[in-house]
Amino acid sequence: MTDGSEPTPDGGYAGTGDELPAATGEGDHATTESHGLPPYGSVKRWLVTTNHKDVGILYTVTALFFLVFGGVLALLMRVQLFTPGSGILSPMGYNQTVSTHGLIMVFWFLSPFAFGFANYVVPLQIGAKDLAFPRLNSLSYWLYLFSGLLLGVSFFQGGTFAGGWTMYAPLNIPTYTPSIGASTAILALLLFVVSVTVSSVNFLTTMHRMRAEGLTFRRLPLFTWTILLTVWMMLFAFAALLAALVILSADRLVGTTYFASTSPGGSILWTHLFWFFGHPEVYIVFFPALGVMAETFQTFTGQRIVGRKWFIAAMVLVALQSFVVWMHHMFLTSINLQIKTLFMATTIGISLPFDLMVFSLIYTTIKGRVRFATPFLFTFGSLILFIVGGITGVFLGAVVLDYQFRGTYWVVAHFHYVMVGGVTALIGGLYYWFPKMTGKMYDEFLGKVHFVLYFVGFNLLYFPMFVAWETPRRVFEYPARLTAWHQLATVGGFILGASFLVMFYNLTKSLVDGEAADGNPWAYSTTAEWAVPSPPPLENFPGVPSYRSGSLDFLGGSPEVADGGEVTDGGTLTTHDAGTQAAHADEPESHASIWPFAIGVGAFFVFLGLSGLQEGSFAPGIAGGVYLTLALVGVAISAVSFVALGREHFHAPTGPFGESWPFEAIENTKLGVWIFLASDIVLFGAFIGTYVFIRISAGWTGWELVPGDPIPGLMNTYLLLTSSFTVILGLVAAEKKSRWGVVASMTTTILLGIGFLVNKGLERNHLFHEGIALSSNVRTSTFFLTTGLHAAHVIIGLLIAVYMLVRAWRGAYLENERPLEYFGLYWHFVDIVWLFLFPLFYIL
Amino acid sequence: MPSIKLYAGIYVVLFAFATAQVAVEFVGLLESAYWIGLGVILVLSLIKALFVAGYYQHLRYEPRSITFVVLSGLIVALVLTIASSYSIT
Repeated sequence: MTDGSEPTPDGGYAGTGDELPAATGEGDHATTESHGLPPYGSVKRWLVTTNHKDVGILYTVTALFFLVFGGVLALLMRVQLFTPGSGILSPMGYNQTVSTHGLIMVFWFLSPFAFGFANYVVPLQIGAKDLAFPRLNSLSYWLYLFSGLLLGVSFFQGGTFAGGWTMYAPLNIPTYTPSIGASTAILALLLFVVSVTVSSVNFLTTMHRMRAEGLTFRRLPLFTWTILLTVWMMLFAFAALLAALVILSADRLVGTTYFASTSPGGSILWTHLFWFFGHPEVYIVFFPALGVMAETFQTFTGQRIVGRKWFIAAMVLVALQSFVVWMHHMFLTSINLQIKTLFMATTIGISLPFDLMVFSLIYTTIKGRVRFATPFLFTFGSLILFIVGGITGVFLGAVVLDYQFRGTYWVVAHFHYVMVGGVTALIGGLYYWFPKMTGKMYDEFLGKVHFVLYFVGFNLLYFPMFVAWETPRRVFEYPARLTAWHQLATVGGFILGASFLVMFYNLTKSLVDGEAADGNPWAYSTTAEWAVPSPPPLENFPGVPSYRSGSLDFLGGSPEVADGGEVTDGGTLTTHDAGTQAAHADEPESHASIWPFAIGVGAFFVFLGLSGLQEGSFAPGIAGGVYLTLALVGVAISAVSFVALGREHFHAPTGPFGESWPFEAIENTKLGVWIFLASDIVLFGAFIGTYVFIRISAGWTGWELVPGDPIPGLMNTYLLLTSSFTVILGLVAAEKKSRWGVVASMTTTILLGIGFLVNKGLERNHLFHEGIALSSNVRTSTFFLTTGLHAAHVIIGLLIAVYMLVRAWRGAYLENERPLEYFGLYWHFVDIVWLFLFPLFYIL
Repeated sequence: MPSIKLYAGIYVVLFAFATAQVAVEFVGLLESAYWIGLGVILVLSLIKALFVAGYYQHLRYEPRSITFVVLSGLIVALVLTIASSYSIT
């Protein structure tokens, strides 16, 4: 298949793999007998695994399940639209179908599908054994799965959410979407966002800190580059969505009035929060697809991507610009003309870097020698579809044209060409990495049949929507003269759906009795995952990967590859002693943990239970009792699981690592805490921004503060400031090896934190007695919810502090005070937030 | 790492600034010159936050890259707040 003679520098040199003595069987051997993980055939394996490759497979398979789920909903819609007017679905059934189709495809299919590959491939491409925090990676997956199951449950709770995937206000509040299932759908999305946040912290820490020696950002493979930028966008964009969803959940469950039609700026507020997340989300979804395109274009043209440096620069530019274009989704709202004009300019501006990327891919194709294998067919097809999607999007970026097109099928057609265009590349990625992930080759003929059906079905489905653009979005009524176009689209939809049957047959059959794939089935592949067996062994590499020489070497390799077999594509495998590798060789390593799964189960019950809340209380009777019980059971499971997770002996990858720029001097956990705090800054920033927005809408100076007296707030400021100081004293005591100093400091911190909460409780009681409640109006809502979110952070901090106090009592932290330091980072952050909440809500 | 003396000194400053913020209201500055009072109070909060982040979270002694991570989050939050607020003026 490959002559393996052409070096194609892209941050790595691929191995031909077939020279490797350590083939598939070796990998299996390593994985089944190592690190406490049960064999692949066992269900338990998949419940306890934390290995990035296993988690990658779990993500991929689960995402494909949601593709089928969302796809069936899409076909139901297409059947309904075969003729205008009523059809097989009830009107409310159609609304639910439209809404959940969008939610499932955007959230539960697209990104997780890409992150299946990211999980599997990125550590291999950067030369890491695993992600920085393997159990958090596993936790991300389980929260993702259980959030999806929660969405599934919502259908059976009086109907799921029916207000569209954008969940516009005020349709999103119980006045208009009253079912419990609608609340569950919102909570499911909230849980999904928690999963994404955990995952973002993990990937960022890993990709910045754990690259192989010599693997600088200039040499980083393009797929990894796209994931890096995607995850940075995710970290901040999803924090804004988290704020939006917490507020929406509060409106639905405890009766705050942010998005009520009577609240000043309520519906515009939602569009700001949602689209501030939503537009970066377009690139969050599309960038991994772009990465797959870049990798496969290089592999299947045998040509290094043209203008690689500029390609990367363009992506960085898009990632930055993605946060300043969101209001082009709001041209039809009442925002002022100046800001519309500005955002029209930024929107047109963001198309320019994409032009560069598209031309780079086209020119790469022209310069190289193309081989139309299935992965390339899909990614090349994706490029064509993306060009159509991109050009039609420019129409929507122009304010005057958007006035005409907004709310029509032009938008539907455009974003499907972009988003499903991205899916097309990811399907190419599935074929591309299938041999790596399974050790089996797919059937090339069936792959090509899949592509033909897919491409024909895709264009039959979506292109008629441009022609029938006058069809209004989200409804099943349309002018009768457009019927033929919709019927064509429905036929296309079924062809597209059928094409996936071919894919599932092909991949399943190949998995069972397909031809064995060697380490590198592709000529001219350029990245490190192809330099190891298919599938790779548990710890990925036969030694410590290094790019110091300019090509991939494995230092201090294991005996089976130490004989100098050639494994690189243009470079020779060399083995050297590497002291770093041997440092932990004798330590018993555990890669298994059931607790991430258990926390997922707990979270599922907590959120399901909370869905039964209305106006702050559970309904009387059996139903309310069941929901309350579910919530309490969930809390109990989660609490036990978190403590068990903290007490468990677990071996995560430890350094030193090769390249860690720009965080060389910071340990993984510390970087993880800081990255998490950066996302928490956006969460609180969005809450404070929301308060500022509503107050400006209502008239800033006419706003009456909820607490009549600033003194309780000042007392709480004193308490928190003092508690920050005592945390510092605890850290100093730990450095001086004073056990009782640590215990005294932590105890004082906890007492001060409790004092803060008691003071807040007294203040609330006082306000309630004055008839001021959370649901009184938007003023009281912003006060209670924003300070409530802060209090929740205090409570979480206190729970951690109590856990640490028990450990400190037993003498912990004297040899290693870093956990105290990291707790302090969080606690001081909570303090800083209060320093702004206090004047905003008590004085100004 | 700074000394306990420095940590304690910062604590006293934080305590004093918090008190000063309420004092700004009690002396009636917000009633006589609201926007100046608002500016003073927010600047005091900002200085307090910089002290806590710089010394208690010892950002001053960490690599600059960590500061950039924090600033990125802050800029994102400010972009959202300022642009959305401006959009309805």
